[in-house]
Amino acid sequence: MIMFNYIASFFLIVLGFYTIVTKTNLVKTVIGLSIADYGVNLLIISIGFNPGGTAPIFTWGELNPASFFVDPIPQALTLTSIVIGACVTAMSLSLVMKLREQYGTIDTREIRRLRG
Amino acid sequence: MSTALYQHFPIFAIMALFLGAFLIVLFGNIKPLRHAIALLAVTASLGFLIALVKPVMLNGEIIAYWMGARAPAGGYAIGIALEVDALSLFFGLLIATAVFVSCVYSIQYMRHDDNVSQYYTLFLMLAGGVMGLVLSGDLFNMFIMVEILTFAAVALTAFRNTVNGALEAAFKYLVVGCMGSTCILAGTIMLYAQAHTLNFAQLSAFIPGNMNTATVVAFALLYIGFSTKAFIVPFHPLAADAHGAAPASISVLISGVLTKSGIYGIIRLSYFLFQTMELGTMQFLLVFMGSVSMFVCVTMALAQHDFKRLLAFHSISQIGYVLTAVGLCTAMGISSGLYHAMNHTLFKGLLFLAAGAVLHETGTTDLGKLGGLSKKMPWTTALFLVGAFSISGIPPFNGFASKWMVYQSIYQKAVESGNIGFLFVTIIALVTSVLTLASFVKVSQSVFFGQLPKEYENVKEVPWGMRLAMGLFAVLCIVTGLFPNAVTTYLTQPAAAAVFNVANYINAMMGSGYAESVMGAAAPAAQAVTFVEVGVWQPVSWLLILIIALLAITIVAIAGQYDRVSEKAPAPAPVDGKYDLFFGGEQSVYSQVGGEDLFWGFKHNWRGYFSFMHELHSGIVNDYALWAVVALALTTLYMLIVF
Repeated sequence: MIMFNYIASFFLIVLGFYTIVTKTNLVKTVIGLSIADYGVNLLIISIGFNPGGTAPIFTWGELNPASFFVDPIPQALTLTSIVIGACVTAMSLSLVMKLREQYGTIDTREIRRLRG
Repeated sequence: MSTALYQHFPIFAIMALFLGAFLIVLFGNIKPLRHAIALLAVTASLGFLIALVKPVMLNGEIIAYWMGARAPAGGYAIGIALEVDALSLFFGLLIATAVFVSCVYSIQYMRHDDNVSQYYTLFLMLAGGVMGLVLSGDLFNMFIMVEILTFAAVALTAFRNTVNGALEAAFKYLVVGCMGSTCILAGTIMLYAQAHTLNFAQLSAFIPGNMNTATVVAFALLYIGFSTKAFIVPFHPLAADAHGAAPASISVLISGVLTKSGIYGIIRLSYFLFQTMELGTMQFLLVFMGSVSMFVCVTMALAQHDFKRLLAFHSISQIGYVLTAVGLCTAMGISSGLYHAMNHTLFKGLLFLAAGAVLHETGTTDLGKLGGLSKKMPWTTALFLVGAFSISGIPPFNGFASKWMVYQSIYQKAVESGNIGFLFVTIIALVTSVLTLASFVKVSQSVFFGQLPKEYENVKEVPWGMRLAMGLFAVLCIVTGLFPNAVTTYLTQPAAAAVFNVANYINAMMGSGYAESVMGAAAPAAQAVTFVEVGVWQPVSWLLILIIALLAITIVAIAGQYDRVSEKAPAPAPVDGKYDLFFGGEQSVYSQVGGEDLFWGFKHNWRGYFSFMHELHSGIVNDYALWAVVALALTTLYMLIVF
C-alpha cells in the first residue's frame, strides 16, 4: 500500500502550504511549515521502502548478496531533514516570540510595517 | 589514485569558511582574534579559488573530488562529490570576492553592535553555505547548503532586531524561504526515486532520456525552490524587506551572493540536469520571468522612499537581466548574462556599502530626510556615483559593457530565431535601463546633493576601513568596465563553454565514456563553442538598436499623453512650504528638492499602476506565501503541458 503513502505525503505538503496561506496566526504559520516538512519526510521514507526488507544495519560478515533490506540513503536523508525541520521550528518560534514583544500581536494582518 | 595538490582546493575553500565560523564561536570574545580569524578565513577561501583559475579557467580542466576518495563503482556514484567546472569556479570567485570585501567593511561597520562574534559566525556560515552550494556536485548536498545559507541569512536579517521591521522581514523570509527549501527537497527526492542517485553528473546522464511526469514535477519544484533563492518575481518583496532591515554588509551578501546562488541553481537545473534549454518553451519561461522581474522591480524601485529598499528592488531588476540573458541559450547570451551577474555583484555591493555608510553616519536611510551629504562625505559620494553610473550603464563603467552585451545577445537571438517577441524583450531591457538611471538621479539628488538638513551639520566621513572596502568594489567596477575583452576571454567565456559541454561534466565525474554509454546517441557531444563578435562594430545593428530605442520612447510618450480627464483627482493639499506660490526666508534655505519631487509627472501619469502595485505588495506574509504557491502551481502546469 505504498501508493497510499505517496498520496498522504502530498496531501500533507499541500495541507501545510494551505495552512501557511490561509491562517493569520503566526504560530499556525509555523505549524504549517512543520506539516509540509513532515509530508516531505514521509515521501522520502516511502521512496526508500522495500516491502519485506529488513533494517539496513549489517556488519561486514553479515552482508551477502541475498540480503534484502530497505534503501538506507533515504533514511539518512530523512534524519537530516528532521533535524532541519526542528531548526526551522525553533528559529521561527523564537522570531514569533520577539515579534509578539515588539508588535504586541501575532496576527499576520497587523505585522505589515514593510510594504509597498 | 594520485591527485594534484590543487584538486583539494575546492574543499579547502569551503572548509576555511566553516572552520572560521567554529573558531569564532570558541575565541570570538577576544576582539583582535575574532577579526583575524574572519579575515584569514575569507582571504584563504578567495586565495584557494584564485589558485584554481589557471587549471580550470585557462586549461579547461574539471575537478571532480570524491570525499574520502570513494570513486564511483559499477557506474554508480556511491560517495559525496565536489565538482568544479568553469561555471562553478566563476560563481565561486564572485562569492569569495564579495565575502572578502564585505568582511573588510564589517570590521568598522559593526563595531558599535552587540554580540559581534555571533555576527561573524553567521557571516562565515552564510559564506560557507553559498560556497558549498556552487562547488557541490551532489543534489542533496546542494539542499543542505541551501538550508545553511537560508538560516544564516534569516538570522542575519534579524541581527539588528531593534531596527524597525527587522524581525518582520526575517520571519517573512523564513516562511517563504522554507517553502522554497521544502520544494527543493521534494524535487530532489523525486529525482532520487527515478534515478537512485543524488550525484549531479549521474543524474544529468540519466534524467534527459527518461523524462516522465514525476521528473517534470520534480523540475518544477526545484525550479521554484531556486527561484525563491534568486528572489525573482514573485519573490521580490522578501528581498526588499530583508535588504532594508539587514546590516549593509549583509545586504551585499544577500544581493551579490544569495541571488547568484539561485541563478546558479537554475542554470545547473535547466542546462545540465534536465538539458531542456534547447526548447523554445523553456527559453520562453526564463526570458519571460526575467523580463517581468526586470520591469516590475524597476518600477517598484521608483516608488520607494527608503535608500536600501530602493536598492533592493534594483538588485532584483538587474537579476532579471541575468536571467533573461541566461534564458536565451546562446553562447553569447550566457557569456553576457554571467558578465552582468559579476558586475551586479560589484556595483550592487558598492551601492549597498555606500547606503550603509550613510546609515552609519546619519542613522537613517529615509530619502525624504537626507540631503546634501556630498559636502560632508565626499569619498562616499564619489564612490556611490561610480556604483550609480555602473548600474545605469554609463560607458566607461562595467554596467555599460555587460548591458550592451545583453542587448546585443537578445537582439541577435531575435534575428536568429525570427521571433518578434525578443525585440519586445530588447525594448523592455532598454526602458528598464532608462528607468534605472532615472531612479539613481533621484537617489543622488535626495541623498548627496541639494540642501544639507540642519541635523546633519556634524556628519563626518566614514572611517578608512569602510572607504577601503568601497574603494575595492569601485576599482573592480572600473577595471572590469575598461577591459571587457579580458573579462570575457578569461572568465565568462570558459564558463559559458562549460555550460554547453555537459558531456565533459558528466565524464569528468563518472569516468570517460560514461555519458555516451548511458545516453547513447542522445549524448551531448563535447563541442567547441565559438563566440562570434555579435556585430558590436556593425553600424547596421547600432542603427536598428537606435530605431528600437526610438520606438520605445514613442510608446512611452504616447502612453503618457493618454490622460483620462474624468479620472483626474484633485491635487493633494500641500504640506510643505515649497509647494506654495510664494515662499522664502530660512524655510527656503533648508528646503530640499526631494526625490519625490523629481519625475512627479511620470508617476502621476502612471498613478494607476503605482497604486495597484503598492496595494499588491501588502506586506502580509500570507499573500507572499500565496504568490509562491501560485507560482509553483503555474510552473508545474506549464512544464507538464510543454514536456
